Parts: sequence; structure tokens; C-alpha cells
Amino acid sequence: MATKASRTVAEHEVRNSAYSRDLLLGFYRMLVKCRMCDEKARILFRQGKYAGNFYSAVGQEATEVGAAYSLRDDDWIAPSHRDWTSNIIKGAPLNLCFAQLFAKATSPDRGRSSPAHMGYPPLNVITPASSIAGQLNVGTGVALGLKKLGRDSVVVSFFGDGATSIGGFHEALNFAGVHHLPIIYVCQNNLWAESVPLRLQTALKDLSDRAKAYGFPGVSMDGNDVLAVYDAASKAIVRARAGEGPTLIECKTYRWYGHSEIDPAKYRTKEEVESWKRKDPIPRFEKYLFERKVLTDELKAEVAAKITQEINEAVDFADQSPYPAPEEAQGFVWAPETEKGS
Amino acid sequence: MARTLPFIEAITEALHQEMERDERVFILGEDIGLSGGVFKATAGLHEKFGEDRVLDTPLAEGIIIAAAIGSSMVGLRPVPEIQFTDFITPAMDQLVQQASKLRYRSAGGFSCPITVRICCGGGVGGGLYHSQENAAWFVHEPGIKVVMPSTAYDAKGMLLAAIRDPDPVLFFEHKKLYRTVKGDVPEGDYTVPIGPAVVRRPGNDMTVLTYGYMTHVSLEAAEAMARRGVDAEVVELRTLAPLDKETIVRSVRKTNKCLIVHEDKRTMGIGAELSAIVSEEAFDHLDGPVMRVTGPDLPAIPFSPPLEKFFMVNTEKVVAGMEQLAAY
Repeated sequence: MATKASRTVAEHEVRNSAYSRDLLLGFYRMLVKCRMCDEKARILFRQGKYAGNFYSAVGQEATEVGAAYSLRDDDWIAPSHRDWTSNIIKGAPLNLCFAQLFAKATSPDRGRSSPAHMGYPPLNVITPASSIAGQLNVGTGVALGLKKLGRDSVVVSFFGDGATSIGGFHEALNFAGVHHLPIIYVCQNNLWAESVPLRLQTALKDLSDRAKAYGFPGVSMDGNDVLAVYDAASKAIVRARAGEGPTLIECKTYRWYGHSEIDPAKYRTKEEVESWKRKDPIPRFEKYLFERKVLTDELKAEVAAKITQEINEAVDFADQSPYPAPEEAQGFVWAPETEKGS
Repeated sequence: MARTLPFIEAITEALHQEMERDERVFILGEDIGLSGGVFKATAGLHEKFGEDRVLDTPLAEGIIIAAAIGSSMVGLRPVPEIQFTDFITPAMDQLVQQASKLRYRSAGGFSCPITVRICCGGGVGGGLYHSQENAAWFVHEPGIKVVMPSTAYDAKGMLLAAIRDPDPVLFFEHKKLYRTVKGDVPEGDYTVPIGPAVVRRPGNDMTVLTYGYMTHVSLEAAEAMARRGVDAEVVELRTLAPLDKETIVRSVRKTNKCLIVHEDKRTMGIGAELSAIVSEEAFDHLDGPVMRVTGPDLPAIPFSPPLEKFFMVNTEKVVAGMEQLAAY
């Protein structure tokens, strides 16, 4: 990882002066918000406040924030099971995100999908399915549609290293390359596909090398460096909006916890986990901000307090929301009359 | 103004007219553009509408369907083609996990108005991998509509209805009908609604429930039986999902007997569900068991002509089934 990552940093050394204070603080607030929401989701699950499961992305926040922060409302996200917080970054109300966990009638899908499988149609976050790489195929189709309609919106597709091993990954990226589609494939390589180590999934060192086979750029980077991810994503988004086609971005990162909340992840060594915790994207970015006097202890406390309050309100909202009535299971199989005859 | 067209040309005409009428419609698939399709169902479209709306794709069914699903989510009306239903399996994840569930899992936030044209069926020497039907796989997936017309008139009208439908529709085209079946087709725009079955031959002595190519086989058998004094009512389902239970049950309550005829494999096939519906909703009216004439439970339709003949339901087999049922 070292060589490519350091190259990426070097290419973007201008960034020290390129970011406004507001943008840097925006990244920071969002990183902390994603972390705190995710940790809260874990706690709530362990408290038995909701059933099912949760797929924590703690440790991977810089990949989500860096890639999705600057998306417009009309842009799309095709998330996987570990991208619950991508809804938050896109702008979904926190109340609804927690209602989703609790499977309440107020959630965007009215209690249908599993807790972490959240989409938000008003802001074009596709409600995910569980099948691996399914989303990046559908996201590729969305990109085809956007191109055909002549729009300059883009799609960001999030997926893990595990999704790069299945046939659908090849079909989607090949197709996107052929048609120069406006899509950014963001691979969050956290080294483990459930319990399968990367060495048993691929002979590649850098998953971005796969892009060569599809005829578009691929870049690998330190996925715990929010600015590096942001830079790469921004470049890819500009390229996609201009009709120049897709980019594959590999963010080398790590999930701190198991595949899901019921996975103790005993297949990993303590040393490995600890070494990655030391590369936590948040303290590292804080250090950067402190050095540039963008962040102060006071502001840091203020950010945390505000998010805590927002989360508490959202959890209350979710808690107090009603469950869907049993017979509501029958809804939304077919189009309503109002959609017919178009 | 109607004129006689082969089944396949009714399909081609529907595509031409709908693409002219609605610029959101585009087609995609293998060999559909430059070559006009292996059966020429998409002939002339590439010349008329260009590559942007007639897209030759990689030979990769998963992304063909995914490309259709995704582009339908932003407001387009894609009509992907699966060249042979035998090749639909790589797209199963997209059809079953995405298309059928998208509206449901997003509580109506997203929809998927695609029409997948699928060439299917045996009896033409296609062998194991160019003869299958497997419509039953999809009938088991609420959220997807499944249709299979048997006449040129319905082929055009139901295809237009399917493309305009806000839900995903699988449009099965039996390849044996393409050029052997001809019929009157109006030149102008019309739709045949998805859902209603149709009584193709009214009768009083037994109901034959069938669809697709087997409609023609069943009608021939019914005529043969009429000469022996058995007056069968042939009901063509046309839409396999959702089923027109009302027409099915009404017919069986009238005739008191029910024979199901389909080409595809027997066990857990569409006939199994039809039989259950009739048993549940017309039990008191039945004078005999619900019977089936179907393809055998074999992995696929074998190639060698005598072997294929063994698999295929034909008029003689349907007549034998009708005779057996008539004896009750």
C-alpha cells in the first residue's frame, strides 16, 4: 500500500492551501457524525433495541465521507450493507436513519429492509439488496440512464473488497468502460470479506489494477486519509460529469469490528486490529486540523455535543415511532393506479 | 386497418411504433442491433433509431438486465432482450433480487418499469440450451409480471401494454410461433391488457387451461375431441403472473372438469399452481381430478429428433389426456 498511497499524497500536496476552513470542518463534522452514529447503532443493537443485525463501518469513515461529501442532491449513491452512514452524508434526516434501524413505519422503506440496508429515495440513495455486487450493477444501469438523458449527475457505488471477486463486478465495470458511464466505483478494501482474507480473494496487491482491464483509470490510496479520498473522488466526479467515464478508487482501510455485530471476528489477530486502530482516520484528521488551527478543543467538544444531541433526538424519534401494521406487508408489490397509463 | 402478420413481425412492429411514440423507450441485448436479432425480431430498428436507442451489448445477461433496471430508475423505459431463456440464469440475481423487489424494498421509492423480451420454447430442434421455457421460475416472484402471448394480435398489443406498464414485465415469446402463427394485426396503436385470460374456444364438457404455443396444440386437440362429442373450453392464460383466477374458476365451475396443458416440466410447474387454485376455489364443482398434460421431469429438452418428440406435448398427448378426463 505504501508506494501508491504516498504517491497519491504527493500528487495532492497542494491541498494544504486548497481547502477552505468550512470544507475542512465540514469533513470533520461528518466524520465524527458517522462515527458516533455508527457506534450508537452498535450500542442500540447490543441493548436489544432492535433486531436483525448491523454492519459497522467504524474505521472506514474517511472512505464514505471523502467520496460522498461533495455529491449533489441529484447525484446517486449505490450503497452496500456497510454504508448505512452514506445516507447521512447524502443528507437523509437522522431521525429516519434511526427509524430504519428500528424497522419502524417512519423509516424510508416502512420497515421492509434490514436495519443497515437503508436507502433514501428522495436523495437518490438506492435501497440496497444483500447480494454481493448487485448494487454496483444497478448503479451502473443508473449511470447509463443518466448518460442517455444527457444529465450531468453521477453515481458513486460503494462496495467492499469481497465484491470485486464476483462475476457481476466484471460485467458492470466492463460495461461502464465501454460506454464511458458517469460512475465512480469506490472499493472499501478492509482486507476481509466476512472472514475471508484478501489473499484468498485475489492475487493482486492493488485492486485498482483491475481498472486497466476495463479501460479507465484506477487509483489506490490510503483510505483513512479523508483528504486523499476526497481528492481522488473529486477528480473522478469531475471526470464523470464531463462525460469522460468511470474511475475505480480503491480505499485501503479497515473495519474495526466483525463483519456484523454477531461476528466476534476471531479470525483476525489482535495485533492487526490494534495496528489499524492506530491509523484511525479521525484523530489523524484532528491532528491535521489542530496543526492548522482550524480545530480547537472547544470546537471539538462543541461538535461532539451537538451530534450527541442530534442522535439522542433521532433515537427518541425512532423509539416513539410506531411499527408498521402487519397488513402493511402487502403494500408496494405492484404500482399504484396513479402510476399506470404513463 | 388490420392485415395478416406473422407473430414475430407483430413484435417488431410494436417495437418500431413504441420507440417512435415514446422517446424514453430503448432496446438492448445481444445481436439486436447490427444483425437485427437472431430471429430478426428487432429488424430495422438500428437503422431507424441508431445505436443510442438500439444497443448491442456484451454477451453478459447480468449487466443487460442491470443496465435496464438502473436506467428505468431514472425514468427510461428499457426493453432488454434475452436471446434464449436458457441464458437468463446469469441475470437471475438482477431479476429476482433487484427487479422484483425494488419497489417493495424501497416502499415505492424506486420502481422498475422494464420489459424483458425472452425467446423461449422447444419443438424446433434447439437442443438442451435453446429450448427451455422456465417461466415458472419467475411466476414464483411477486413483483414481476410474466406474460406469454400466443397470437400475433396479442403479441403486439401485450408488448405495447408491457412497455407502458409501471412494473417489470417478462415477455416470453415462444420461438415456434414466430413464423408459424399468423394473424390479423391492426396497423395502429392498441394494447391488450396484462392480466386477463381469454376463452379461445367456448365449451361445456371440460376446461383446458393452457398458454403459449400449447394454446394452438390444445385447440387442435379440442377440435379432435369435438368430433368425438366432447366439447372442451380452451382458456388461454396469456398472463402467468398475476393469474386471472376469476376466468379460470368461472370456466371450471361451468364445465366441472379441468385439464392443464403446458410444455414445460411437470413438477412444481405452472400447472401445479393452477391445480391448487381449481381445487381450492372450484372443489364442489369438480366431477373428476384436476389433470395435467405436461413436459416430463427431465433436465432439459434433448436434441435428437426422437428424444425431443418424447419431451414435447403434442396434439395426440393432449387428446389422450382429454379422453382420460372425459371418462369421469
